[in-house]
Amino acid sequence: MRRVMLLLLVLCLGLVIPPSGQAGESIKIGLAAAVSGGSAASGEAIKRGIQIAMDEVNAQGGVLGGRKLELVIRDDEGNPAKGVTIARELVEREKVVTIFGGLHTTVALAQVPVWHELSTPYMGAWAAGTEIARNGKSPNFVFRVSANDDYADKFLVRYATEVLKKSKPGLLLENTAWGQSNEVGLNKWLGQKSIKPVGIEKFNWNDPDMSPQLLRLKNAGADHIIMVANAPEGAQVVKSRAKIGWEVPMVAHWGISGGRFAELTGDLSDGVAFLQTYSFFGKQNERGQAVLKALKDKYGVKGPEEVIAPVGTANAYDGLHLVALAIAQAGSADGSKVRDALENLKAEYKGLIKTYKRPFTPDQHDALTDDDYIMVVWKGGKIVPVAMK
Amino acid sequence: MLVQLVVTGLALGSMYGLVALGYHITWVTSRTMNFSQGHAVMAGAVVAFAFYVGLGWPLWATVPATLVLLAIFGVALERVAVRPFFRAASAAWLLSTIACGIIAENVAMLLFGKDARAFPSALTQKPILVGGAGFYAQELLIPVVGLLLMGGVQLFYHRTAYGKQLKAVAYNPEAAGLMGIHIPRAVMFAYALSASLAGIAGILLAPILNVAATMGTIIGLKAFAVAIIGGLTSAPGIVVAGVGYGLVESFVAGYLSTGAREIVGFALVILVLVVRPWGLLGARPTRRV
Repeated sequence: MRRVMLLLLVLCLGLVIPPSGQAGESIKIGLAAAVSGGSAASGEAIKRGIQIAMDEVNAQGGVLGGRKLELVIRDDEGNPAKGVTIARELVEREKVVTIFGGLHTTVALAQVPVWHELSTPYMGAWAAGTEIARNGKSPNFVFRVSANDDYADKFLVRYATEVLKKSKPGLLLENTAWGQSNEVGLNKWLGQKSIKPVGIEKFNWNDPDMSPQLLRLKNAGADHIIMVANAPEGAQVVKSRAKIGWEVPMVAHWGISGGRFAELTGDLSDGVAFLQTYSFFGKQNERGQAVLKALKDKYGVKGPEEVIAPVGTANAYDGLHLVALAIAQAGSADGSKVRDALENLKAEYKGLIKTYKRPFTPDQHDALTDDDYIMVVWKGGKIVPVAMK
Repeated sequence: MLVQLVVTGLALGSMYGLVALGYHITWVTSRTMNFSQGHAVMAGAVVAFAFYVGLGWPLWATVPATLVLLAIFGVALERVAVRPFFRAASAAWLLSTIACGIIAENVAMLLFGKDARAFPSALTQKPILVGGAGFYAQELLIPVVGLLLMGGVQLFYHRTAYGKQLKAVAYNPEAAGLMGIHIPRAVMFAYALSASLAGIAGILLAPILNVAATMGTIIGLKAFAVAIIGGLTSAPGIVVAGVGYGLVESFVAGYLSTGAREIVGFALVILVLVVRPWGLLGARPTRRV
């Protein structure tokens, strides 16, 4: 009788204790991004980048002795409140080890306290707000393989002053935390060249007509526009610019590449220059060829001109490989240990965008800086790289 | 600068006026309205996009097909979200029509997709430049159609027997019913008309605003402001208020700052509500003592 009871007890314990850490169980990675709304293409692009890298990692036997990686996706709808809700859900219910983030700086900023409260590393794949990664927390759970507005603004100013050789910028910014973040950055880097913008104009999401803002900049004597906008509003700016008949060089942050900017603007987008972290056009390294092939096989993307929101895919691809290396180095799927490993990554990773040698340190949570960015320009609906010199 | 601001304001304003007419049509018949008129505009744009771009139909087939579908949408909306609350004399239709709008937006996201898409139109290919100011031909089409529709609606309500019957329903449903007017059918008709009008607005606005599941909210809200300013009972009032509102927006953005635009615009709504609650050209309600 006693033996039977003992057996039952053992059986019960077996049922109660979750079988964590077993070789077969997958490790979940979250994605909290806008997969709806005007910037939905960005979320889809990030998903593709993660998935392709994940397939590569899993094909080579996964991590931690054969555990596969698995992707769990939630839609933040570009809404900070929704972003916080799904952040908690992904960590508390889905038990994800790391979360990838989407395009909206407003959402990412709202989520920063959540990652620290729940000790879960965040890997930014798009949102470039400076203070997302430089958030003053220690230890800092936010990492990023993407642009950082501060470096991006430095890069945009360098392009405008050194390549275009212009000195009277008109700033056109979206009326959000992301626009704000860039207003600070642009003023800082312009200031270092002793340049003061001739005008700073704002617009709201879904604004139908931007001609008043453009007219104000034109009348103030702007000789080029530095624009911080996502695809739908960026398209309205370009259309309004044509309407008021103002042929002025435009330099843009990369938000316009997160939607169907070329479709929305047609020929009018020709000549608009903007920043990217990677381009699938031109000669590709080994990773680039592999990613393009995977995009074709898995998502029916026929060539580089069909890669939607390319930076999302490129950033997320490298980000996922770095996370996989960190999990391997940590020897654990514990959030804090993975964070420590990310901050002190020993393995060198020959990635898509560049070769990463210790990409993160306690003081530097951006793996990419302005040295890694490229400038590109729309031409007939295609993205063509331009020289920085 | 002045000319461009006027042109921009006129284009914007006629958009608001066109959408706002939809509020007027159901209001004069039933003293209710589709609070999600903006979402009906979105539905018009999305449906037209599906026929025109998705299926490659010609424009002459796209437009009637869209209007018929929208009319059905209006009938369904009235049946589901308005009629249950019409008799009860409650304002629950307000919330239920908003709920329908949100559902419509999410259905559009599922079926149409989540990206903003371009609606090709020959009239938005190249801007027309006149005296330092530019506009797209499509923007000229909107006030023309808007004025025609306003005239049509006016004639219908004041000159035709059925139009007068519809107005009678709003004035005194019981008496109208006793006179042999089928009230539910009258209200249903008004909703079908209002939704078709939103369909026309959607087709006209699509090339300018692009097509997106989320396009309806802002335009619906501003059109509502315009309907309040102009007077819900007056079609000419709404058109005038629409143009006025567009001009104010454009001038505030151009001469003051773009940040002040919504502040001034919606402050105007409050001002009108305080001074002339029935709107600029609306009929002053007679109070029965």
